[in-house]
Amino acid sequence: MPVSKPDCALLILGHGSTENPDSSQPSWDHAQTIEETGQFGSVHCAFWKEEPSFRQIWPMIEEREIYIVPNFISEGYFTRQVLPRELEIEGHTTVREGRTIHYCDPVGIHSAMTGLLIKRAKEIIDDSVKLEDTTLIIVGHGTNLNKKSTEAITDQVEAIRASGEPFARVLDAYMEEPPFIADWQTLTDSPNVVVVPFFIADALHSYQDIPVLLGIETEPTAAASQREVFRQNPYRFGDRTLYYSSAIGTDPSLADVIVDQVSYFDEHYRS
Amino acid sequence: MTLAGELESHLPAGTSLVFGQLYLTRHDDGTYEACHLDDMGDKSMLESVDSVTDLRELAKFDAAGEYRPLKTAPTLKGGWVTRCGEASEFLKRLDAIYPAVFATWIAYAREEHHPTSLRRTLDRQTGMYRFAGTISDQMANRMMRELCHPGCIRKIAWPINDGHPVSRLKAQPRSIPVICTEACTFAINAARALAKEAFDKANASSDGPTG
Repeated sequence: MPVSKPDCALLILGHGSTENPDSSQPSWDHAQTIEETGQFGSVHCAFWKEEPSFRQIWPMIEEREIYIVPNFISEGYFTRQVLPRELEIEGHTTVREGRTIHYCDPVGIHSAMTGLLIKRAKEIIDDSVKLEDTTLIIVGHGTNLNKKSTEAITDQVEAIRASGEPFARVLDAYMEEPPFIADWQTLTDSPNVVVVPFFIADALHSYQDIPVLLGIETEPTAAASQREVFRQNPYRFGDRTLYYSSAIGTDPSLADVIVDQVSYFDEHYRS
Repeated sequence: MTLAGELESHLPAGTSLVFGQLYLTRHDDGTYEACHLDDMGDKSMLESVDSVTDLRELAKFDAAGEYRPLKTAPTLKGGWVTRCGEASEFLKRLDAIYPAVFATWIAYAREEHHPTSLRRTLDRQTGMYRFAGTISDQMANRMMRELCHPGCIRKIAWPINDGHPVSRLKAQPRSIPVICTEACTFAINAARALAKEAFDKANASSDGPTG
């Protein structure tokens, strides 16, 4: 739902990368989309591993009221520790040096993500493919260091199962903890498998690492933006057919989700 | 004054400024123009790049096509020029090339934005970077000498330790300073590597053969 906040700034936070040029692109794309709607006085991005950094951003923002939306998949180490620490904010609203700063929930936990994952899965499979013959795998990073990291994925898997969409099965899988995405052929038994990465960007993990784990590349390829030909679905593995989608965070609808997190903040956290 | 207003007053019509590797010009008709310093002579052959998005993409890679995660690395490529009529739009274009750099200078010059010592930056780190704070002052100096000075055009405004502030930086005539008010992710990463190197060296000598 659009908002009208011409006196407020919107600050989108991303991870960024010192190695992959595509990591920050979705945040910039969504920022531009939102800026063109004129819903905010200004729209900015800041990153953990790129510029402007979380520490550099404040002098750029001239509005006195600022909404911050983390363009992150899960609530966890980054959204609860790193971002508040680097931005010197605490709790939902921080009043500091004449500024009122609202810290919204990350995009990945928004309820709209479930519908976007389903839409993305349906988009990339062939029209002739029945959902009843297709397993949907939502793949995430996973880490034994933080349980919250997988919660965002398992929550989505449960929501998709509850949605009534007739997929044969809906599973979660991870790069670095079981169930491993590398085992997709044994984890599934349907003729078709569609894998949607629950990541923000087509960067290091979703574009370079996971394709190797799936067996559709033999070694990490160049960054998505530096390849002349995008991958072509589907991939055949004997009598199995695999479809691999780009990261969910690249969906243009994420711009609406970012704005929705601002509305959600006003409805639920604003005192 | 707004940041766009500051830019307008820094660059009156008929003047030019050096801003990092950029050469900024305000023509007599008020039009703003930026190009690489190496291209400040004949601009007739330069490619016109007139959107924030395209400038951000241009600044993302060096002349050899290598990714430039650090926008103030001394590797900005030339061969282009950007022109526009409004200070606010010109500022957005400069921010696409040097994010937040103009705003940082203005805030520093107004004494609204204060440098953060290296110790405070490193001591704040958690996770894999938490050991970065164990580096000695000597190692911090080595980091600045080997990483910051050759790899970045920013002038360092932060001290290693609180209580030992560095001299305040001043603008040279006809220039906008490109300053660093806090160690960046590359410096933190380098500090971590130096800390690890010292740790490994100390452990190797204590675990080594004794006779």
